[in-house]
Amino acid sequence: MLFDLEKVIKSKQRFRRELAARPIAEKLDMLDKLRERSLTLRAKTVPAKVLLPNISSRRGK
Amino acid sequence: MKIQEAIAVINQIQADGIIERYATGGAVAATFYLEPVATIDLEIFVLFKANPNSLIINPQPLYDYLIERGCTMEGEYVMIAGWPVQFLPPTGALVEEALEKAINLDIEGVPMQVFSAEHLASIALQTGRAKDKARLLQFIEEGALDVEQFQSILIRHQLEEPWQRFEQQFLQG
Repeated sequence: MLFDLEKVIKSKQRFRRELAARPIAEKLDMLDKLRERSLTLRAKTVPAKVLLPNISSRRGK
Repeated sequence: MKIQEAIAVINQIQADGIIERYATGGAVAATFYLEPVATIDLEIFVLFKANPNSLIINPQPLYDYLIERGCTMEGEYVMIAGWPVQFLPPTGALVEEALEKAINLDIEGVPMQVFSAEHLASIALQTGRAKDKARLLQFIEEGALDVEQFQSILIRHQLEEPWQRFEQQFLQG
């Protein structure tokens, strides 16, 4: 399988433009849904502090 | 959880004379010009009613008004229609101007005041965090700015240097 990166970028750009051009009421509905999804994901995600060691304390060692 | 309901409440605050003027900023305002991007809060810039007896801005009447109507406080946010809303006074001349020149829109019968694309982009440049730079880049790539208006704001608010740095970093080469 070959990936034409330029094609992918252009297609993404086209999709973003299409989203931007949608009616504002529809875009505000999307914001409501995106927020709900973010909150769900956040509730199920392990906090970054638990996953990442404290870099500043390691620097001091 | 519906952002349009939150906006209706904010319109009522203005209609009841608790605030003089408001305008939406941040990611929600950017949604008017770009594709929607996930955000957790609603930033509302507010011009409070002037108190002739005090030079200090007091947001307490606003919070009292909202709490009386069943809204709850969560840290620096007021929960309105399920959305955490942050009320912010203008932090400088640029935001003052953005508030003054905010655009009046109508969303299915609900009026809403929103910062112009050029002011949002200028504020993003001035704030300068990574996510602000990403937003500014989006405004440019999508051709969402009136270049003349944007340039005049940059000149008026002494943002030419940060703009040159931004151009060198992201738009050249």
